[in-house]
Amino acid sequence: MIAGRAAPLVRAALVLALALGVTLAIVFAAGAPPFDTLAVMAKGGLGSRTALLRTLSALAPLLLCGSALCVTFAVNLWNIGVEGQITMGAVFGLSLLRAVDPAGALPPDAAVAGSLVAAMAGGAAWALIAGVLRTHGRVHEIFSGLGLNFVAMGISLWLILGPWKRPGMASMSGTEPLANALWLPALFGRPMSLWGLILALAAYGFAVWLLGRTFFGLTLSAVRQNAMAAERLGLRPKRRMLAAMGICGALAGLCGGVLVTGLYHRLIPSISGNYGYTAILAVLLASGSLPFLPLACLFFAVLTVGSIQLPLELSLDSSLAGVIQGVLVLTLFAARRLWPAAGPKGGA
Amino acid sequence: MDVVLSHIVKRFGHVLASDDVTIRLEAGRIHGILGENGAGKSTLMRMLCGVLAPDAGAVVVNGRAYDRLSPEMASGLGIGMLTQDPLDFPPLRVWENFALGGGPVLRRAEARERLAEACGRMGFCLFPDLPVSSLTVAERQQLELARLFDRDVRLLILDEPTTGISPAQKEALFTVLRGFVAGGDRQVALVTHKLAEARELCDQVSVLRQGRLAGAFAAPLDTPAILATMFGADMAGDASAAPPSPPAASGGGAVLLRLHEAVVADEKTVLDPLSLAVRPGEIVGLAGISGGGQEAFLRGLAGIAPVVAGQLSVAGEELAGRAATRFLRAGVHYLPASRMEEGLFPGLSLLDHVRLAFPDKRGEAGAVFASRCVGRFRLTNAPAVKAASLSGGNQQRLLLSLIPDDTRLLLADNPTRGLDAASIAQIWDHFRDRAAAGAAVVFFSEDLDELLAHAGRVLVFYNRAMAADLPAAGLDAGLVGDLMTGRAAPGVVRP
Repeated sequence: MIAGRAAPLVRAALVLALALGVTLAIVFAAGAPPFDTLAVMAKGGLGSRTALLRTLSALAPLLLCGSALCVTFAVNLWNIGVEGQITMGAVFGLSLLRAVDPAGALPPDAAVAGSLVAAMAGGAAWALIAGVLRTHGRVHEIFSGLGLNFVAMGISLWLILGPWKRPGMASMSGTEPLANALWLPALFGRPMSLWGLILALAAYGFAVWLLGRTFFGLTLSAVRQNAMAAERLGLRPKRRMLAAMGICGALAGLCGGVLVTGLYHRLIPSISGNYGYTAILAVLLASGSLPFLPLACLFFAVLTVGSIQLPLELSLDSSLAGVIQGVLVLTLFAARRLWPAAGPKGGA
Repeated sequence: MDVVLSHIVKRFGHVLASDDVTIRLEAGRIHGILGENGAGKSTLMRMLCGVLAPDAGAVVVNGRAYDRLSPEMASGLGIGMLTQDPLDFPPLRVWENFALGGGPVLRRAEARERLAEACGRMGFCLFPDLPVSSLTVAERQQLELARLFDRDVRLLILDEPTTGISPAQKEALFTVLRGFVAGGDRQVALVTHKLAEARELCDQVSVLRQGRLAGAFAAPLDTPAILATMFGADMAGDASAAPPSPPAASGGGAVLLRLHEAVVADEKTVLDPLSLAVRPGEIVGLAGISGGGQEAFLRGLAGIAPVVAGQLSVAGEELAGRAATRFLRAGVHYLPASRMEEGLFPGLSLLDHVRLAFPDKRGEAGAVFASRCVGRFRLTNAPAVKAASLSGGNQQRLLLSLIPDDTRLLLADNPTRGLDAASIAQIWDHFRDRAAAGAAVVFFSEDLDELLAHAGRVLVFYNRAMAADLPAAGLDAGLVGDLMTGRAAPGVVRP
């Protein structure tokens, strides 16, 4: 039994070693000292209290979106549209704040909470467009999601430069900042409010519970395994897919709402900041398994934050971090094909 | 040509599919490879034609031993196989399929000429410009045979060639095979689980059981001895015994299923309007060759293929045009032919299947599994095992156990395909129990003998229409076969 349990660990170690080797080779080929580069990035992400706080700020949106994506991956949907769902969450959340702000109709705390709920509704609605196109229009969610990402970005830009522009001048730096009362309380969190991390952990717990402990989660994995058999059993796979899309969109929208109220305090262009795409990579790195998701998210958060130090300390371009992220995930998948697992692997 | 399978061993994981099997195939003879499903017949033949490599042993052709063959080597040696599902390219035309495979691709004019020549030699009638997708299974077999004969096959392997063709087409095929070996320098290996076919055609048979060579017999074949070898002494009595007579169609009682001028539209086929009444307790068999429309009809009854015109009612509830979930609620359940692809969740545990099928009882799924799946349906007692690892018989037992007891209309597409004798017997017993409890069972089987043995009433389909509705008692397989293939006019036999 011990050998049987150790085998996957040995395999994982081999896969990771290969991935690391290829990554270092690429870094070396790019003309950078490979080990120094890694050390600088690790130090930049974890080396000081400030660095740690920055990393946690990046971890919150990644974990929120990663948890969201696990719900759609559970039913085998590739929700590439998560970036657009973040953006629309930010737009919906801010629009509610803009509506109540001058009137003072709501106490500030209620307004912030309400804006997060509105953000979830916005993300869910945006995700359901892709969902309905998939279930009733036979449009694959990858294509509709990608298209809707551009539409969402267009909408946010139009709002920033048009209806919501700063008085007197339209600026790519974003809309007029929110009043301090409408910020998520910082709770020692810098730059992002600690509420972001709390909400992300709550979303993660929700995803673990939903997928692992509920009948709904079981039906999702049934639909993922065999949609036709699910149809035969009367499990209504289309409705399950739509529900999964809606939940995923709501959590992604929450991420947008947190970015507005907890970090930027305004709507900026590309507010989703590639968190959605990076979260997809993190979920792939964890192969859709929830126990490994926080670790994968943390890893990408460190890479993202640590790479900021590359131009300062080694005169390297910070985009090297993106190269490392992509190469690592690709190598990991290639290595998994080289050493396939002994038996069929379970789902999340 | 002299071919010997010498001490062949083949393992798939823990399963020993071939256990030290030695068989000699002599020129000029038709050699039967007999055994029930899962005995290792097809595995053995796949090693002979180079699709699989044996773990140990050798294939000896004309005195030269090969540790393993590739498909190219096998066809170079003159070994060709007609697989159970023809390995052709349905979107391509007949002559294009003929031109492909086994050496260089033929040019158009040459292919057509050689196709006509091969067809003429064997009495086939194949139109070179038709797409293969429009052919019947029997015609696709003929096309494969014509191609193999044209490439001068010396050893022809046929894997269950009579599945899905009519008795008359079977006779025609057997005549061709007898002619093929008549010259004395070529041979046929016929893989079958039907003893009657082996008796009719084979000069000698090798019987496989659980991967081992259990016995070898030469014509004339002795039925009881072969059955005992195929199934073991204890099972032979069950296998040869005639099944209990199916319940006769009861004259009275309320109608359970009624169709009035109903038009079923499946993905590719639209059936002619049909009217029908089925009462509780009936076991109705559907007969038809591939493309006859019986499978579409079955899916129409299940609510999977929509009924686009006319009426379909179950226990008085009108269901035409309704969603499949309405059919389920009305007590209509469908048992698919491709069990794993259409019915089960390969990566989920057996217990999860119970939870999904009986959501109201998911709190006590373990107890339901123990009493219902294992106790009543004799499923393997391994609730945590994933469905992907189940054998065909256990897959079908699981599917049957997931169908609720209050089912009114049970629909089954080829319920016994690929199963062993014990599982098959259990399935028919179960259908009879369901019928006795007041449900109606409608099934389709490609095996006409099985169909006539177990159905109380037979609906024959031909050319996307119901050609006849006959009581099974005293029905002749030849007549049903002629109706299935359009050789007899339906009006003559309508009772």
